[in-house]
Amino acid sequence: MAAPFRSCDHCAKPAVVHNTVIVNGKVIEHHLCEEHAAAVSGQAVGPVPINALLGQLAQVGAARARGPTCPSCGLTFHDFKSTGLLGCARCYDTFAATLVPVLERAHGGATQDVGRVPPEADVALKHRNEQLERLSRELAAAVAAEQYEEAARLRDMIHALRPQAPGAPGAGGAGTVPPRGSAP
Amino acid sequence: MSVPAAPRPADDSDVVMSCRVRLARNVAGMPFVGRSTHPQRREALEAIRGACGTPEATAALVAAAGATGTLAWVDMPSMPARDRQLLWERHLVSRTFADGDSPRAVALTQDERFSMMVNEEDHLRVQVLRPGNALRSAFDAAMAVDAALASRLGFAFHPRLGYLTACPTNVGCGIRIGVMVHLRALRLTNELEKVKRAAKELHLAHRGFHGEGTDATGDWFQISNQRTLGVTEHELLEVLAGRVVPAIVNWEREARRALVERQRLLVEDRVHRGVALLQAARLLTLDEAMKQLSTVRLGVSTGLVGGPSLDVINRLTIEIQSAHLRAADPSIEGDDDERAVRARVVRAAFGAA
Repeated sequence: MAAPFRSCDHCAKPAVVHNTVIVNGKVIEHHLCEEHAAAVSGQAVGPVPINALLGQLAQVGAARARGPTCPSCGLTFHDFKSTGLLGCARCYDTFAATLVPVLERAHGGATQDVGRVPPEADVALKHRNEQLERLSRELAAAVAAEQYEEAARLRDMIHALRPQAPGAPGAGGAGTVPPRGSAP
Repeated sequence: MSVPAAPRPADDSDVVMSCRVRLARNVAGMPFVGRSTHPQRREALEAIRGACGTPEATAALVAAAGATGTLAWVDMPSMPARDRQLLWERHLVSRTFADGDSPRAVALTQDERFSMMVNEEDHLRVQVLRPGNALRSAFDAAMAVDAALASRLGFAFHPRLGYLTACPTNVGCGIRIGVMVHLRALRLTNELEKVKRAAKELHLAHRGFHGEGTDATGDWFQISNQRTLGVTEHELLEVLAGRVVPAIVNWEREARRALVERQRLLVEDRVHRGVALLQAARLLTLDEAMKQLSTVRLGVSTGLVGGPSLDVINRLTIEIQSAHLRAADPSIEGDDDERAVRARVVRAAFGAA
């Protein structure tokens, strides 16, 4: 197939040399007439060595794949950016760092829910809050009695129970809600 | 010149055609719809159908929604294209939901006061619909439906983020509270900016007749909350039902009154031309019909013309759409047929031959 007519990048003569190079992940096309091609030959427009080209392509690939991939549903950061949709409950933890500004923009600066909770989560939350209260009392007592090993144990338990920012290590995530499957 | 007091129905139906409360929910432990394989989508569909499917569960849901009759399940992929579009034209399903071929279903009561889309963007989209401005009753019904469903299904829920949805813009309450309002006078007096500004200040969205990305055909606007995180369901209800909707209703009524008071002849002229055109036309495009119906509606709501009633005009805005006409008259083949049938339907509603 004949290439469509293009004039030289530097003059009005028809271009006979067409080169595509990738510089820092950007695709740059060069179209040159015979004279200008000869003038720059061996310099900027010379054929890119195949290894360099592959390296640049790999860079592009890496840029695309940058960001986490959801261990639960396999959604990549690129998928999320292109659709704006998350793939599963776990994604909210996987992409937590990216989500914070998205949530703030969409919800007038808010990043925490204050609305109603499903009954089973309600029960779970109440149960957890009761446990937290009890552990906090025990921790205060342990500290007062200078039982530091016991205090450290209690502190770790409290830490594990407390709801954390999505994505934080040990965040309960959606897993704290009993899974589906209650019989109809 | 004295102007007769415009009728002000208690349900604000002179301005508000309908109100809706919608909920987005996902079944816990399953990938969201966009990341689900077809078998997984079928599984989600079966889980939801199963949870709502027993006669007792169905009856409880329908009662909670304040609807009547049975809950009909419609399998979308096996529906003819025309009937899917018909559901979209009635605001019962979204465009993408109507067009898709993956496993999905809609459940609805015959009075349309309650419907559920399964496998739209989220596993479950609940809709409670009421004619006129009955936001509080729609809200209470939606909350009751949610509670009834939650007793049978585990929903994806995050202790910090609330109900989890495929799109982060719905996360938290996963609720949209909205009204469909007719703002013909505000458009004529160039005061729509007032509505848009108020909407923006209160984090509300204003959209066209068919929601996101559609234009305000026939001067119909949908106003609904945009935020769903960091705010409670009741706070959102109060913003809409307590502040915004009453304000918009008053602005539109005030604009109508001002128009009739100050530019009566001009408005009368437009309204009567509209009536005459709709009574006489033999071919009507949807766009032309919607425009003229909007002007006539302004005339009816201000008492400048006697009829048809607001109910009839509201019904027409739905029933003169393509799939409705084709369902009513299967002999329609091309666009010309459709325009002819549309004109006939409108003439009949206007009591003309």
